[in-house]
Amino acid sequence: MKKLSLLILLAILTAHTGCERDDICPGSTPTTPHLIIDVFDFENQESKKNIFNLVVAKGTESTILPGYAFESKNNLVLPLDTKANTTQYRLIKNAKVNDNGTPDDTSDDVIEGNYDVLTINYSREEIYVSRACGYKTIFQNVTLTIEDDGDNWILSQQALNPNQSVEDETTTHFNIYH
Amino acid sequence: MVFFCAFASAQNDSIVSTVNDTLKVQLKYGLRVGGDIGKLVRSFVDDDYSGFEVSADYRLKPKLYLAGELGFEEKNTVTDYLDITSKGSYIKAGIDYNMYQNWLDMDNMIYTGFRLAASSFSHNLNSYNIYNTDQFWAPQYSVSEGRSFDGLTAVWAELILGIKAELFNNLYLGLNVQLKMSVTETEPDNFENVYIPGFHKTYDSSGIGVGYGYTISYRIPLYKKVKE
Repeated sequence: MKKLSLLILLAILTAHTGCERDDICPGSTPTTPHLIIDVFDFENQESKKNIFNLVVAKGTESTILPGYAFESKNNLVLPLDTKANTTQYRLIKNAKVNDNGTPDDTSDDVIEGNYDVLTINYSREEIYVSRACGYKTIFQNVTLTIEDDGDNWILSQQALNPNQSVEDETTTHFNIYH
Repeated sequence: MVFFCAFASAQNDSIVSTVNDTLKVQLKYGLRVGGDIGKLVRSFVDDDYSGFEVSADYRLKPKLYLAGELGFEEKNTVTDYLDITSKGSYIKAGIDYNMYQNWLDMDNMIYTGFRLAASSFSHNLNSYNIYNTDQFWAPQYSVSEGRSFDGLTAVWAELILGIKAELFNNLYLGLNVQLKMSVTETEPDNFENVYIPGFHKTYDSSGIGVGYGYTISYRIPLYKKVKE
């Protein structure tokens, strides 16, 4: 009986300490997904094509998306706004910095280049994940629109599925061609 | 003490041969009722908790008791992303078995117990913030109008290990730990039972719960029986 009691006590103690990890949302848990876009060559739609010196900026602001400052990319991973049903990005190809003749002063620097405005529209749904992660947002009926500015470098776009949704990050959601 | 003296004097008197027959110890039988003072104290100290539990046991055999608890709990679970109030009542019924060999007519317990327990409860999701690893569009969507999940039930089994000591005549102080194993529970739609009254905090990794009790109880003596 004494041995049994000790065993039970041990089980209780380990059960308690062994589960504290429930309080931290693990990085491996899929939560709010990013929009994943693959970039292809418009002339040869089977092959991927890099966008050189790409800058991705938030909406109409000058805030640059981390990891997208003068990079060469053939795959875009973009966060979507969970507060709104629209997220907008400016994609600038062959971007250059115009320092306004003052190379030492970065405050008046302007990024120049051909930019296309990408508008992503969707409806949102909140899905319960776990006590540590709370709720995530998934996106449904996602559409991509490239605003026509008369000088678009993104020539076309295509969803990979009808009624494209963004529920996880395991597959690409859209292709763009340039 | 009277027995000791009688025993001692009997031994001195070498003529008496039936010594054993003088040692008749009587055990008290009755209904013991009590309350959990641990939960009461916690209700005052912990802003996120209020609860109470009444308990009772009835002696069936010298070592076997019929036992049960009735309780109410309200608990706030607050994380960075969730703010939940869970509340409800529960009932537990089962047996306690005393493993302790008492000296003479002393009546203390070191016991193991088994219970079947059920809870009826509800959650109110007071507010939540969307979890997102990417904070480029921070802040994330947050909802502050409450959402309620009602009419939930849970059933579990419980193993108890505890002690009960008689402080004064018929007044007992008890301490116990509980290991709970979930049997069944209603899963709320697009949510989770993070806390079940009586079962306490649930864990993602298993259906195991833990608890403790700190009780004061009083035995209403009904009759006595000779200890065999």
